[in-house]
Amino acid sequence: MNVLVGLVRPDAGRLELSGTIFDLSGWSPSSALRAGVRMVHQRSALVPAMTVPENLAFGDPRTGAFFRPRRARAAAEALARRFALEVPLDRPVEELSPGQRQRAEILRALDRGASVLILDEPTAVLTPGETEHLFASLRRLRDAGRAVIFISHKLAEVEEIADRVSVLRRGRLLASLASGRVSAAELGRLMLGDELAPILRRARAERGGERKPALEIRALSAPGPDESSHLRGIDLEIREGEILGVVGIDGNGQRELEEVLAGVKRPTEGEIRVRGERVALQPRYLRAAGVAHLSGDRETAGLVPGMSLAENFALKGSYDDRRFFRHGRFDRAAARRAAAEAARRFSITPPDPDFDCAALSGGNAQKLAVARELDGRPAVLVAANPTRGLDVGSARFVQEQVLERAAAGVAVLLVSSDLDEALAISDRLVAIVRGSLVAVPPGSDRSAIGAILLGRAQA
Amino acid sequence: MRALLTAALGLASVGLLVAALGYSPGPALRAFVAGSLLGPSAWTATLLKTGPLLVAGLAVALCFRCGVWNIGAEGQILAGALAATALATRGPADAPALLLAPAAALAGALGGALFGAIAGWLRAMRGVSEVISTILLNFVAIQCVALAVQGPLQEASGAYPQSDALPAAALLPSVGRVHLGVAAALLLALAGHWLVFHSTAGFRMRAVGLSPRAARFAGISPERTAVGILVLGGALAGLAGAFEVTGVTGRLYEGLSPGYGYTAIAVALLARLEPLGVIPAAVFFGALEAGAGAMQREAGVPAEATKLVQGVVVLLSITLAAAPIFRRAPAAAGRS
Repeated sequence: MNVLVGLVRPDAGRLELSGTIFDLSGWSPSSALRAGVRMVHQRSALVPAMTVPENLAFGDPRTGAFFRPRRARAAAEALARRFALEVPLDRPVEELSPGQRQRAEILRALDRGASVLILDEPTAVLTPGETEHLFASLRRLRDAGRAVIFISHKLAEVEEIADRVSVLRRGRLLASLASGRVSAAELGRLMLGDELAPILRRARAERGGERKPALEIRALSAPGPDESSHLRGIDLEIREGEILGVVGIDGNGQRELEEVLAGVKRPTEGEIRVRGERVALQPRYLRAAGVAHLSGDRETAGLVPGMSLAENFALKGSYDDRRFFRHGRFDRAAARRAAAEAARRFSITPPDPDFDCAALSGGNAQKLAVARELDGRPAVLVAANPTRGLDVGSARFVQEQVLERAAAGVAVLLVSSDLDEALAISDRLVAIVRGSLVAVPPGSDRSAIGAILLGRAQA
Repeated sequence: MRALLTAALGLASVGLLVAALGYSPGPALRAFVAGSLLGPSAWTATLLKTGPLLVAGLAVALCFRCGVWNIGAEGQILAGALAATALATRGPADAPALLLAPAAALAGALGGALFGAIAGWLRAMRGVSEVISTILLNFVAIQCVALAVQGPLQEASGAYPQSDALPAAALLPSVGRVHLGVAAALLLALAGHWLVFHSTAGFRMRAVGLSPRAARFAGISPERTAVGILVLGGALAGLAGAFEVTGVTGRLYEGLSPGYGYTAIAVALLARLEPLGVIPAAVFFGALEAGAGAMQREAGVPAEATKLVQGVVVLLSITLAAAPIFRRAPAAAGRS
């Protein structure tokens, strides 16, 4: 896709668009734009300090010499209504949640009459309802004669929306089929090269005896950037070995909850207890109490780009881990050994402890984070969108690790915008809506959950 | 490789510029090279200029690595020089050398640290950009020195705006004119290297410099680290100032520092913020200063022209060296 939009120059290749043949050797981003190829990337390409109308007008030749704010805003509003994508129009993009940002990105791509629209994992942060809206928009675009390329790892969605499916693996095109002709299971096999075993829900049964609460949160309140993301009096309890899935539309307090539990945001009130003991909400104390934190975003996960695997493996222990930090000295050799061992056990590529973390692929970076967090045998694991943006194999790996830890007695708080993932591995679900928790009745189907998330149903 | 290329280009541009300004390049270049690199007196001149550039350059490099843009080395040098002079000339007059010289150095470090701490406090408590605060503090320091040498620290005879000559006991021992401070500077660079790559504190510094957000999730406070590094940087620069008065000039006066604190920034950038790299970078700039001085004295190239030449060489060298710093390419990290 990066070749198609002119960001990467290919060694060889030819592009044919609507019957016109283009030589790719001189292909540039402006050529792609002129040809009507627009892409919505996984990582935001919007200007953070500008609002959505400003972003839409930015670089648009129709804007002319002067920028007219009211006109731009009206145009943006009309566009949003036309494609049924709700986006705040008066706040800078940096204040929007990932889901809102994604919708703004899609709006921008749709704005200028794309003849080929490429979407890279667009539904990662959308709710079921928004996904349906998006699919409806995509079908309309298709019917109007435009081409849509939908890159996804969510096989169920691919089945639903695609007319044709192409499978790439290791840089080769394996198959290109009409989607009616191939099932999700077969797609998975093509992608991974073998029969995908379904995720095993752990046999809950024979666990005798009372399971003690491992994590208790009482009356937790914290500020957020806007009305719907303030945490209001969160109460929850997770027992040993239990996986609690917190689902919700991005921007309803998930990020705030994650930051409080990671110790980087101070709550205005409330407390947490781990195994009955009260714990101060700062990274060091949380770590000492056995709370581990996994995140789908590298920097939030505490991986420093520019530092090596070994250094990142040791990173969280700079105040208390005597394996790597003694007498004011960083024991690089010990860190390298530990990281090499972790790379071996978790199949991190490349397994070189001096390799720069910034150059790791998403899947490998996440494996490193998993290796590090599980290294301390935590009592509680807070996992926020741990498989975001990962390929099928890596995502599966992370989910299996989470399940394994839970089977061993770790309490898991899974905050996920991926409803399928949450449904697949959680024991119990709870919805977060406008900063408060709403119970999800067991056995609810996707549309019922969707209604709860939108605040349209009572629990 | 890059360093040799820079040096060669630097020399070539000196010759070209001198010729362009209407002076004969041959004698000028000869004087330049002879005055900085050929013979013991040339090396003395070079090393004396290298000393403060090394220590101050180290200070700046450490700060920049942490994402702390300390432009205040100049003021911190002066603050250190002031503190050292105050202690040496107004302190116990009969103190033994063993105590007085190190005490003066310590005073210098504290003086510089104080100025760094002010910028650090402003950043932590009020969110004031250290770029602004350190630059402004430079002016404060310059005026403090002026005030001191025209007032409380002025020499007894009151003839010139300068301090008394420092008592012999406060002066640094030296080999010829090269004082102990130069050797200390070398050791400090080595210590700086150890600090950054092998100490716990340095580990945290690097994490904060590369990603304050990730560091925060690892329990490291970027704010505290920034303040700490400003104090350390200030202390080092202050030490450089103390070495200047106790090792080179023997007294305090206005204009003590010919912009060492600013040149130190170029040194740090040329060194690509590596503590060990500061050593050759400082020598390069020291030689540049010494050579320019010789060019002026012996080939008759006027002072303004030599300053112009120095400026161009500085621009050239940091252009060659500095670009990668602001776009860190993923190479094998973690190797020191």
